[in-house]
Amino acid sequence: MSIYRLKRSLLIVAVLALLIPMGMVNAQDVTTVTMWFDEGTTLDCWGPIMESFNEIDPSIQLEIVPQANSWDVTRTAVAGGGGPDIVRTPGPSFVYEMAQAGLILPMDAFADEMGWGDFFFDWALDLGLVDGQLYSLSDELETLVLYYNVNVFEENGWTPPDTVADLNALAQEVEAAGYTVFSHGNASWRPTNEHFVGEYMTQIAGPRNVYKALTGEIPWTDESMVNAMEVLDEHMQAGWYGGGVDLYFTNDGTYRRTALAEGSAAMNIEGSWAIRGTVEYFGESGQTWDWVPVPSHDGTDYFTIGMGNTSSINASSPHPQAAAQFLTWYFSPETQGEMLSSCLKGPAPVTISEDVLSELDPRISRLYAELSDASDNDRYGYTTWTFWPPKSDVYIYEEIERVWTGEISVRDYLQGLDDLFAEELEAGDIPPIPTR
Amino acid sequence: MAVLTQQKPTTVIEKFNNETWRRKFLRNVIIPWIFIAPLLLIHIFVVAIPAAQGVYMSLTDWKGVGRDVNFIGLENYRELFFEDDTFGKSLVNNVQWMAFFLTVPFILALFCAAMLAQVKRGGMVYRSILFIPYVLASVVTVTIWKNLLNPRQGVGAALADLGIEGFNVAYLGRSESALMSIAFIDNWHFWGFLMILFLAAMQAIPPVLYDAAKIDGANRWQEFRHVTLPGIRPIVLFMYMMVAIWSFLAFDYIWLSTQGGPAGASEVVATQLYKNAFLRYEAGYGAAQGVVISIFAGFIIMIFVTLKRRGWDI
Repeated sequence: MSIYRLKRSLLIVAVLALLIPMGMVNAQDVTTVTMWFDEGTTLDCWGPIMESFNEIDPSIQLEIVPQANSWDVTRTAVAGGGGPDIVRTPGPSFVYEMAQAGLILPMDAFADEMGWGDFFFDWALDLGLVDGQLYSLSDELETLVLYYNVNVFEENGWTPPDTVADLNALAQEVEAAGYTVFSHGNASWRPTNEHFVGEYMTQIAGPRNVYKALTGEIPWTDESMVNAMEVLDEHMQAGWYGGGVDLYFTNDGTYRRTALAEGSAAMNIEGSWAIRGTVEYFGESGQTWDWVPVPSHDGTDYFTIGMGNTSSINASSPHPQAAAQFLTWYFSPETQGEMLSSCLKGPAPVTISEDVLSELDPRISRLYAELSDASDNDRYGYTTWTFWPPKSDVYIYEEIERVWTGEISVRDYLQGLDDLFAEELEAGDIPPIPTR
Repeated sequence: MAVLTQQKPTTVIEKFNNETWRRKFLRNVIIPWIFIAPLLLIHIFVVAIPAAQGVYMSLTDWKGVGRDVNFIGLENYRELFFEDDTFGKSLVNNVQWMAFFLTVPFILALFCAAMLAQVKRGGMVYRSILFIPYVLASVVTVTIWKNLLNPRQGVGAALADLGIEGFNVAYLGRSESALMSIAFIDNWHFWGFLMILFLAAMQAIPPVLYDAAKIDGANRWQEFRHVTLPGIRPIVLFMYMMVAIWSFLAFDYIWLSTQGGPAGASEVVATQLYKNAFLRYEAGYGAAQGVVISIFAGFIIMIFVTLKRRGWDI
C-alpha cells in the first residue's frame, strides 16, 4: 500500500470517528418505546394508526415488534428481566402475578399526572388495581350478543328472542326447519367453551348472584348456578351448538362465520370481537346480519363485560415516562375512536365521542351505546377470562367438556369449581371485582 | 541408555520432573479435555444446570413469574400421584400412544423398506414420496388432516356425497377416537422416517448372505426372517428405545389438533404440563411432571442398557 493510500485511509477513518459520536448524539435524543404485538390482520390495521404517534413528537418513537405469539414471548422475556417497554397481557387476571412479582410498574403517578381518570370509566381503572395500586390499563371492551341472520328470520317469520323461554321455543322451530341453531364450535379456540359458561351464569343465574359468588358470598354450587349450567348442558345435548356435541368439538372459526352468513345456521352467541368477521362474511354472502342482547331468564338486557387485553409498563423499561406518554395517547378517546371506526377494534373503556359512533354502522354503534348504558345502569355481567382467577378459568373451559360428554354431572362440575375458587380466593388471587 | 535405566517416577513431583510422563499426560489427559471442553461447557450451561434447576423447581411452589419461590419438599409429587386423577389418565394416554407407535409405524416401515429394498429402478422416487411427510412442519400436517377428517368438508363428507355413508364422523371430536386419530396423523408424518432408516440398514446387509440363504432354499419370508431382521436389529432396537422415549414427550400434534380435548380424551402428560406451567401458573407443579417424564425416559434407557450388557446387539 502506498503512503498516499495509507494517508487517505487514515483520513477516512478519522472523519468516520468524528461522525459516529455525532450520530450517537442524535440517536440519544430519540427515545424508543417498544411494544410486541401478534402478527396478522389485526396488526395490519392497528399498526399504521399506532405508528402515527411517531409524527406527534419526534423525540419519542414507537417501535412495534411483530411476534408469532406475543403473550408467550412477552411473559418469558419479562420474567427474565427483558421484554418490551409496554407489556400487553390477555386480560386483567394475567396482570396480578406480574404485579406481585414486581415485573411491571405501578402507574398511579402517571395516571394523576396525565389525567387518565378524565377519560377512563371509573370501574375500568379499578380493574387494573393490584393491592390498591394501578398496574394496568384495560383495552378492548368486550361483550357477547346474539347475532342472527335476518334473511333466515324473515323467511321463516321468526323474531329474535328476549327470554330463555323464547329462545327454547324458537330453537325448536329453527331445528325443525332444518337449520343449525347456533353456528358454533371450539376447534379453533378451545376456551370458547367459557364464553357460554359465563354468559349462562349471568343471563340465567343473574349478575348479582355471579357477583356474590365471585366475592365469596355464595358458593358456585348455589342452585341458581346449577340451574344455569343445566340449561347450558340441555342446549348442548340438544345439538343446538354446531349440530351436536362431537361436531361442536370439530367446528372451526371459518364454519362459525360461514354457516351464519350463508344461512345454514340461524343464530350465534358470539363476542363483540366477531363484528369485523361478521361484516366481512355477510358482505361476501350478500345476506344481512343483526344482533340482540343474549336472552336472559327475565327478559332484562344484561351485557357481560370483558377485556380483551391490558397494557402495563415494564419494570425494567429504561424510559417509563415515554411509555406512559404513549399510553396516554393510545388510550385517548380520539385514538380509540379512530381505531374503532377504521378497524372495528373494540374500544378501551373510555368515553368515545358521539361523532365517532354516529359514523359507524348503526348496528355497531347501537351495540357500544347499549353496552355503555348497561354498565351505567347496573345491567352488566361478568366474562370468565376477565374476572375469574387463572386456575378457575382453565377449569371452567376444560372441565365443562366433561359435563357435555356425560362424564360428570353439573353439580360435580360446580363443586370442583367451588373447591378451586375457594383456594384462589383464600390466596388472594382473584382479579379486582368492581363493587355493585 | 540412561533413559532405559531411569526408575519409573512414583511421587507427583517425580512425575512432573519426568519429561516423558509430562508429554504423555499432556497428550492423553490435557489435550482431550481441551477438545471436549467447549461442548462440555455448553452442555453444563444449557442442559445440566437448567435440568438441575428444573428438579429444584419441582420441589417449590413457584408460579412461573417472579422470584417468590418457596421450598415445599415433595408436596408436588404427592399431589401428582395421590390427588390429581387427570395425571393418571394422561399417563394411560401416553402408554396408549407408545403402544401405537411401537407397532403401527414399525410394521409399516419394515414392510415398505423390505419392498423398496428390492426395487432396482425408480427406488429414489418412491423413497422421496414416502419421506416427504416427514419434512412437513407439524402445523401444516395437522391443518391438512384436520380438514381431511372434518365431518362437514373432509373425506368422510365427500364419500357421503357419493352415497358411501358412515365415514363422515367427527374423529377428533369424539372422546373414544380423538387420541388414536391424532396418533394416525402423527404416524402419517413419522413412519417414512423409520422406513428410510430401515432401508439404509437393509442395504448395508452383505448380498452374499442372501445368496447363501437362496442356496439353502430359503423363500422370501425366510430371507426376511433369518437374514434381514437380524441384519437390521441394532437400528430397530435403537429406534424402539427412541420411540418409547419420544412417546412420553408427545406434545405438538396433540396440542395443535385438540389441545388435549375433548374432555381430556387426548390429554397427555406434556400437554398437561404446559397447561399447569403456562395457563394455571403452577410452574413448580409442571416441573414435577417434567421430572416424572424424565424418570420414565431414564427407566426406558435403563432397560435397553441392561439388555445391551446382557449381550443384546443394540
